[in-house]
Amino acid sequence: MAYFILDSCIGCENCKTVCPSQAVMGEKKLLHTIDGTVCIECGACGRVCPAKAVEDSFGLVAQKVSKENWEKPFFNLETCMSCGICLDTCPAGALSANLQRVGNRHVFPYLPDEAACMGCGFCADDCPVAAITMAPRSALPQEA
Amino acid sequence: MSTKNKGYMGKIMNVDLSTGKIQIETISPVVYESFLSGMGLAAHQLYHRIPAGADPLGPDNLLGFVSGLLTGTGSLFTGRWMVVGKSPLTNGWGEANCGGNFSPAIKHCGVDGIFFTGASATPVYLYVDDTTMELRDATDLWGMDAVETETHLLKNLGNKKGRVACIGQSGENRSLISGISTDKGRMAARSGLGAVMGSKKLKALVLAGTRRIFSHNKEEIKRLSRICNRWVQFQPPFVPGFLTAPIGALMRIMPAVLTQDGLLYKILLRKWGTVSMNQMSVEMGDSPIKNWNGSSADWGFFKSRSSNPDVFIRRETEKFHCYSCPLGCGGICKTQGKFSETHKPEYETVLSLGGFVMNKDMDSIFYLNELLNRAGMDSISAGHTVAFALECFERGIITTKDTMGVELKWGDPGAIEFLIEKMITRDGIGDILADGVKKAAERIGNGADKIAIHAGGQEPAMHDSRNDPGFALHYSVDPAPGRHTNGAGLYYEMYQLWKQVKGVPKMGLGYLKSSKYKKDIKHARIGKANSQYMNVMNGAGACLFGGFLGIRRTPIFDWLNAATGWQFTPEQYMEIGTNIQTLKQAFNVRQGLNPKDSRVKDRLLGLPPQTKGANKGRTVDIDSLMKDYWELFEWDRETGIPSQVHIDKLASIA
Repeated sequence: MAYFILDSCIGCENCKTVCPSQAVMGEKKLLHTIDGTVCIECGACGRVCPAKAVEDSFGLVAQKVSKENWEKPFFNLETCMSCGICLDTCPAGALSANLQRVGNRHVFPYLPDEAACMGCGFCADDCPVAAITMAPRSALPQEA
Repeated sequence: MSTKNKGYMGKIMNVDLSTGKIQIETISPVVYESFLSGMGLAAHQLYHRIPAGADPLGPDNLLGFVSGLLTGTGSLFTGRWMVVGKSPLTNGWGEANCGGNFSPAIKHCGVDGIFFTGASATPVYLYVDDTTMELRDATDLWGMDAVETETHLLKNLGNKKGRVACIGQSGENRSLISGISTDKGRMAARSGLGAVMGSKKLKALVLAGTRRIFSHNKEEIKRLSRICNRWVQFQPPFVPGFLTAPIGALMRIMPAVLTQDGLLYKILLRKWGTVSMNQMSVEMGDSPIKNWNGSSADWGFFKSRSSNPDVFIRRETEKFHCYSCPLGCGGICKTQGKFSETHKPEYETVLSLGGFVMNKDMDSIFYLNELLNRAGMDSISAGHTVAFALECFERGIITTKDTMGVELKWGDPGAIEFLIEKMITRDGIGDILADGVKKAAERIGNGADKIAIHAGGQEPAMHDSRNDPGFALHYSVDPAPGRHTNGAGLYYEMYQLWKQVKGVPKMGLGYLKSSKYKKDIKHARIGKANSQYMNVMNGAGACLFGGFLGIRRTPIFDWLNAATGWQFTPEQYMEIGTNIQTLKQAFNVRQGLNPKDSRVKDRLLGLPPQTKGANKGRTVDIDSLMKDYWELFEWDRETGIPSQVHIDKLASIA
């Protein structure tokens, strides 16, 4: 299964730009298509489509979500085992790892550039120890 | 039949470097059910596709990069990738195994393996992403070391995520002891496959795919992984590094030993990495010293103390985890001099460039570690070849006339660095030595072959078979001889296979050390089980150190069933291990190798026995052990050749 672009596509190329797998094809202002053999179902195309022209694998029309409300990963460093699965599974290569805990030489994941994250949630889905939760950044407790 | 939810990708990529043609080939599910992926898939491909008598450095050789079946499924310790081909070092089955992050990158390109045939006229590298697979010009990269090459290629990717495997100057120069590097210094080092890559003018692979890897029962895999991780995170405080030597000495003195639980070794690995064994192994007799001619008595505590594991931890700035590894035995270390940092040297490197050549200078070892990683030369074979040269010089087989005027003395860091630098550039004496001890002895003559220690052409690793005869067996009988990761008596203790597999030997609480040297069919049965299980692990892409935790804590069979949806019993998986081992052996036989010829040299067997040190008086009866091992695999007891019926049955699976 893969995502699918409907005839209501306006050819804005938002989906083509955001797709990490280069699965979207098409010329500007013309109907775009998704190569089903390449699509990894990350959903980024649907979240940026202004024309409600993207159907997900279940046939549901994806809703546009403003970027500030895209879900981002939160890392529980107490649970994280530094295995690197999340770094590898991120199709956008948005995650990195560094030293974060005093006295601990194991490196832990973090998101250096929030804009690079598409909010696909693959990192949380693949983490064997459930050390990652996805939520909009607005869900973060505000600093006093 | 769909392969989408079975852990494996169900396809391979075939690249013809002579024509530039790249094709995707679908692999039948029956092949995976019979050989798994990884090493098993590779054995299937090489057996069918490399013609008898193929020149390992010619276009007929097939060079494969394969990922494991469990890689990317959510299982732990399963991020190993393997390089396979006909070895120019042994003229038979060649394999090298590596961690880092390259293994999932292969599967993210939608395939389980990438196989190269032919040879390019000019340097090229393979670039693959989700929509592109092409050979690109690598003329500008030719001559760069492995770290420079990887840095350059990753920079070219820009924001795109990618992984690189490449050769350094040694592979380009077709040094027969060269390997393939990833993650700026992790090495698929053995079997000389870097030379095969160099002979094909293939500088690198750049993999930037994003394909997802699907399993049959992902939640079950994750559940098993959480249990495994709990054992890994169990890390009680342990003694300081200087006390590891007395522990080793105690193990030497005791006439009996407890059957080892790998949880203890895991604690050492997590704290220090493999360097935890630097001094302990010397004291207990596991470390070969001075080209296998010395002993723990020649490299006692005061000589080995510069390799105290705490020395390495003090230089370590951060731990290095391979993909899907919760343990993190690797590390990044600061160095002084020409290079600013290096991957933490492994035990094999520290010993082969340390006690094996009587070198106490750790600065020299850190420098050589990085130099060899960058050049892409196998540190085990390089240290071996240096030791061989030092002994040749000591015995007058070579003189300063042969060495460009340099005096070769045991333990002289300057002489050791000189030899390795020359081997990398193939300059002068380096050109003679750059292809390992067997070739060097042939070139030098004058009786040098008597001190050229190898198994079937490959230099054995830094584990003394007089201490653990299982190493002698596996160095000798494995289709890729001389490799230490394929089996040992100690490994079997830690795998604890008898807790899940019916019919394999059970280990009690402990045993007398002398029992290891007594003729007993149990030793061959243990050897067979080791080989079977290691082939399963290599098919799965599993790490040896994960396996050491024991089959109940690192549940390879259960992970495989959860990933594939199969319901194979542990015994069926062990049979798959037999299939893989038999096909690799059949490959060697077809290439004209005589299995008896890879028997290790007498020094490794205590012939004559050592007169001092931890292995004093010990002799290993390898000849009968090899025959017992072959017979248990139902190969010919006298020749080690599998029956044609058995080979035909396996070869017909397609």
